[in-house]
Amino acid sequence: MSGHTRPHSSHLLRPSLASRMTRIALIFSALVLLSFFLVLPLVGVFVQAFDQGWKIFIESLRQEDVYAALRLTALVVAISVPLNTVFGIAASWAITRFDFYGKNLLITLIDIPLAVSPVVAGLMYVEVFGLHGWMGPWLSEHNLHVIFAVPGIVLATVFVTFPFVARELIPFMQAQGSDEEEAAAVLGASGASIFWRVTLPNIKWPLLYGMVLAASRSMGEFGAVSVVSGHIRGKTTTLPLQVEMFYNEYNFTAAFAVASLLTCAAIITLITKKIIEVTTGLHQHQAEDERSS
Amino acid sequence: MSIEVKDVSKNYGSFQALQKISLTIQTGELVALLGPSGSGKTTLLRIIAGLETSDQGAILLHGAEATQRTASSRGIGFVFQHYALFRHMSIFENVAFGLRVQPRAIRLSRREIHARVEELLHLVQLDSYSRMFPDQLSGGQRQRVALARALAVRPKVLLLDEPFSALDAKVRKDLRNWLRRIHDELHVTTVLVTHDQEEALEVADRVAILNRGALEQIDSPQAIYDHPASPFVFNFLGNVNLFHGRLLADLTPQTGGTEQGDSSIGFVRPHELEISRTLPEDTRAVLVRVARIQAAGSLARIELSTPDGKEQFTAEIGQSELQLLALQAGEDVFITPRAIRYFDNAETKELLDQGAGI
Repeated sequence: MSGHTRPHSSHLLRPSLASRMTRIALIFSALVLLSFFLVLPLVGVFVQAFDQGWKIFIESLRQEDVYAALRLTALVVAISVPLNTVFGIAASWAITRFDFYGKNLLITLIDIPLAVSPVVAGLMYVEVFGLHGWMGPWLSEHNLHVIFAVPGIVLATVFVTFPFVARELIPFMQAQGSDEEEAAAVLGASGASIFWRVTLPNIKWPLLYGMVLAASRSMGEFGAVSVVSGHIRGKTTTLPLQVEMFYNEYNFTAAFAVASLLTCAAIITLITKKIIEVTTGLHQHQAEDERSS
Repeated sequence: MSIEVKDVSKNYGSFQALQKISLTIQTGELVALLGPSGSGKTTLLRIIAGLETSDQGAILLHGAEATQRTASSRGIGFVFQHYALFRHMSIFENVAFGLRVQPRAIRLSRREIHARVEELLHLVQLDSYSRMFPDQLSGGQRQRVALARALAVRPKVLLLDEPFSALDAKVRKDLRNWLRRIHDELHVTTVLVTHDQEEALEVADRVAILNRGALEQIDSPQAIYDHPASPFVFNFLGNVNLFHGRLLADLTPQTGGTEQGDSSIGFVRPHELEISRTLPEDTRAVLVRVARIQAAGSLARIELSTPDGKEQFTAEIGQSELQLLALQAGEDVFITPRAIRYFDNAETKELLDQGAGI
């Protein structure tokens, strides 16, 4: 009996050696895959952008169209991120602090933009605001342009980035509970006072995290914006659309130069995200909790 | 300020959290709401504070209708079980919060706020901690900060929701004595929610016992301990021995519903059991075997059981008596109850069916 249950010392050694080999093999293959699929292409963007030298790179960026695309992208980010911040806080507040009929429906609705293809999202707006859409006749009567104009691009971007702030805040606020807000209320604080003095300071880091994600997505959104934009040069072209335009015109250096701008923005986003994670412990605690449970 | 609770009921779906609770708390009194978890005591406290709304009934503060008033306008101090300190504010700012959010017309000047906070931090013996943050303090210190914060706005009523239950036994004991001293100094009407009967009996002027959303009894600790109104109260306040038997002529049942000759169950506290080696001249004496002796502490606990092992008893005797008896595990002795209480049989049966820890 006991001979069966007690393993020999060599049995004890072998699995640990095997597991170490497995670990090394797994890490190695993960690194190889990562460099092939992520790092090399990323480097490729910059190599292509600087293919013809610094001068050409700078020159391809110094075009009126590129400036216009840059301005439009900045405008879209400047409108969609604050809108989503307000919406995200309101939705998270409602969902985590109150019980109401249709709460689960609201939680599901917030996730729709993540489930739906951005192209479909764009088409939905064309269907509503387009010339032959539901509101089209009314809009053209009043000389309002949504589709193939800036408002359409902003709307499509807001839709696509809808969930980012809310999805970051809801689990955080749920975990935090409403004790501190109740304490503030009993101490005589008004609703606004509670929000500015207690709620907002407590959620500022996850909020910023969600805003960074939303900003990065609104800069890079292609599908939904492509459908509603109409690709009018210098007017309704955002940076990603500009990249596509250059590319289709076989102007590869210019395409990659603009693409490298977007890549830089993405890298800045990642670094900001990491800084927030490290300085606040956000998301690291979650990982630890999952491990321990 | 007095608190009046009138016929307050509250349901969560089909769960009846509170059923027509009525009680009055006098100005300057310290009342403990005592009950097991799920008895509705915290719900009642939150309804008094305005953090929860009742389905029916009314709350009167100092005789004035307060049921519809918001939590922030009731002028109440509230201490939470898990402290609920503002984690991004220093200890000083935590205590100052209630003073800073007051409407401009009645708000104190910066200097007055500073003086008030210093005074309160001194009261809770945390003078040198004002620049620290809540996560740098121990549980006991945090709860003292929470109390200082609640007292800063000079509330007429102080409500505490299981304030010491997250702390370890020693700190808990210190803090509850300290709470009583603060109460005696400030005379603020206080309601303390607890599930710890020792805490309630030791600290409160009166104890209200709740069970399954209903008020079982409210009285002074002494009266409640000596004259429990129901088997639930008796059982909840301490350990209990049960004596099964028939009521004899010389025993007068304490409450109605039990008639002479009925089979009945008597309740006896462990310290009310007399242990003797010879058969006493008492018809209630029972022959038992000593199972285990726990001699640590001021009182020794003796676990006993009938020779057939069907019934268990616990006796508590003084150390000197234990030495005199020289009890050994395994030997047979007699136990006689010095006092027995009887309750309505139906209630007793219900309690036993619930599997209460008897």
